[in-house]
Amino acid sequence: MSTHARKAPEPVASVITKPLPAGLQETASSEPVMLRPLLLPLLIGATCLLCLLPFALVLVISLGEKIEGAAWQWALDFSQYRRFFVGLEWPDSVSFLYSQKLFYSFYYATVGAVLAVTLAFPFTWLMTRQSRQLQTVWLVVLLSIVSLSEVFVVMGWDVLLSNRSGLPMVLREAGVTGWLKDNGFFPLLREWGLANPRDLKFKTSGFAVILTMTYLVWPYAVILLFPPLSRMDNSLMEAAQTMGARPMTVVRTVILPSIRIPLMGTTLLLFVFLLGVYVTVSVFAAPPQQTLTLSIYQSIRGATLNAPFGAAQAVVLLVSACLCLGASHYLANRSKSRS
Amino acid sequence: MTTSTGSGQGLELKNVNKTFADGTTALDDINLSFPEGELTALLGPSGCGKTTLLRIIAGLESASTGTLILGGSDITTMPAYQRRFGMVFQSFALFPHLSVEDNVAYALSISGVDKTVRRKRALELLDLVKLAPLHARRIGELSGGQKQRVAIARALAQEPRLFLLDEPMSALDAQLREEMQIELRLLQQELGITTIVVTHDQREAMSMADSIVVMSAGHVEQTGSPQAVYSSPRSSFVASFIGKTNLLEGVVHDRQVEVAGVRLTPSSPPSFINGARVTVGCRPERTILHTDSQSSDQFIPASVKLVRDIGPVREVYLDADDRQLICELPSAGATRLSPGDAVRIEMPSEALHVYPRQESA
Repeated sequence: MSTHARKAPEPVASVITKPLPAGLQETASSEPVMLRPLLLPLLIGATCLLCLLPFALVLVISLGEKIEGAAWQWALDFSQYRRFFVGLEWPDSVSFLYSQKLFYSFYYATVGAVLAVTLAFPFTWLMTRQSRQLQTVWLVVLLSIVSLSEVFVVMGWDVLLSNRSGLPMVLREAGVTGWLKDNGFFPLLREWGLANPRDLKFKTSGFAVILTMTYLVWPYAVILLFPPLSRMDNSLMEAAQTMGARPMTVVRTVILPSIRIPLMGTTLLLFVFLLGVYVTVSVFAAPPQQTLTLSIYQSIRGATLNAPFGAAQAVVLLVSACLCLGASHYLANRSKSRS
Repeated sequence: MTTSTGSGQGLELKNVNKTFADGTTALDDINLSFPEGELTALLGPSGCGKTTLLRIIAGLESASTGTLILGGSDITTMPAYQRRFGMVFQSFALFPHLSVEDNVAYALSISGVDKTVRRKRALELLDLVKLAPLHARRIGELSGGQKQRVAIARALAQEPRLFLLDEPMSALDAQLREEMQIELRLLQQELGITTIVVTHDQREAMSMADSIVVMSAGHVEQTGSPQAVYSSPRSSFVASFIGKTNLLEGVVHDRQVEVAGVRLTPSSPPSFINGARVTVGCRPERTILHTDSQSSDQFIPASVKLVRDIGPVREVYLDADDRQLICELPSAGATRLSPGDAVRIEMPSEALHVYPRQESA
């Protein structure tokens, strides 16, 4: 050790604790303190403004009174809700026209979401088994599909499913239509709305709506399922195999239960997304099978210009969707606590 | 451990090779047989191919060439789910969505065994690994040692024909590892099941196994009982990997080896031509240290670098011929030694092993 006397270094603490100039000290200490209590109310206020205020407005309008030939006026009128559930003529007669539209909204959204997730699951699983390079290529392709607007997608499927030049023509030329006719499948297909007396037809059918909806949300399902599936521990599946589980048993007993929460989350997200689909339904659904989304638009912007009725339909759709999501959440929690 | 043909329900590997898609050779002509009821440890450094070999045995990887025979039947192409081998993974691979009991009963559950029967069997197995009171717990609520026991119980549930363990102790702390080694060995002896354990810990292999397979760079270096492998290592790699050893470079002269100017005479004369460059090995506990002026032409001069007292033994680190050597002496009644002391080392003829020198590239 050196015995030379050395000048003691200035303590670090003294540098840190050196007082700031009066003005700076004030701003540095008081600004965050003043902002902190305001931050939470500001955030709550912004959330209310952005989320709750539009809903409150729609709710208020739904209770308003429609003025014939004009807009609407403030009121506490439940007649629009009565019209929705039992029809305008109630109690003389009952109409479930709008409940039927609500049913179709849920039907298409549920089937579309479940189908998209069902098709996305094996695809994503296989994708996670590929090399990193190939995964990147697939993800870029999926993202480019996502970037297409609904209008563009519907246009594409409109051509593909058109009776003269699309899939029905291909099936007719390939002899499939003739074979279906000869083997007595046509009456059944007609019953399902997939054929007319002469040919197969897909446009204005539930099949076309569901097909296009599934196509619309399938890339989202893959993108949402990719992280949990790629994170899955391979040794779990291998352990199941060594215990006698065949590949399908591994999927059923290990993989699906392990990603149950992401699967349910993805399905719910796609379901909510599909509830609002407009162009697909307006192009491919037959009028009696159209959804509430179309009806809402027609009420607000269509010939009738009935904003209170459009708002009442929107409120019913939103509340029903919330109830549906709440029920799913409850069931998921219950099955989690049981297992 | 034998390399002869298998018998009974033992497993036999014939000319097993594994080359991965990128051209890496993981296993090179492996011929082994695992006798029934024995615990065999596959021992080697990381990347030597021991886990690949275990995975091929389990059916989780396929061999590029070669044959696997179990009890006289060829199982080379049999899928993992048909082999009925219990396996404990390094990460334990317990199903997080199932309880402890359901994890153990999994194999029985998928094979359609009645719920009452599988529950009874699961509780029996959990009792065997002393975890019956925790049968209803979630996997996330268990400690590392408890998880390992559950993994063992689960692997045994289907009464496996072969019990495979891939580095089962690596996730445990030192004390728990020691306890589990003893418990696993007792359990294996109780069940009499043919067991293969992969480990890179030579102490673990020595303390648990009936026989050891030492592997290096995809091939088998040596097989035998732990004591045989320790006392008669067949290569300088085995000598240095299994326990500590003193390795010195020398040259063969007239059936003797000249090391640091001293001529050593191994009890079994080396079958090398004159002038061959060799490595001489001698275990630290067989190396004798002389502090007096007694001299012999077979003693190597050295100087003391460090003295370490480790309970019953004292390790003396020595500098000889620019190489570090270790000599183990009993602590009781040991001579006082200080760094820098000049000493002489004797490597007894019967403790000397001579290997061809591994020239570095």
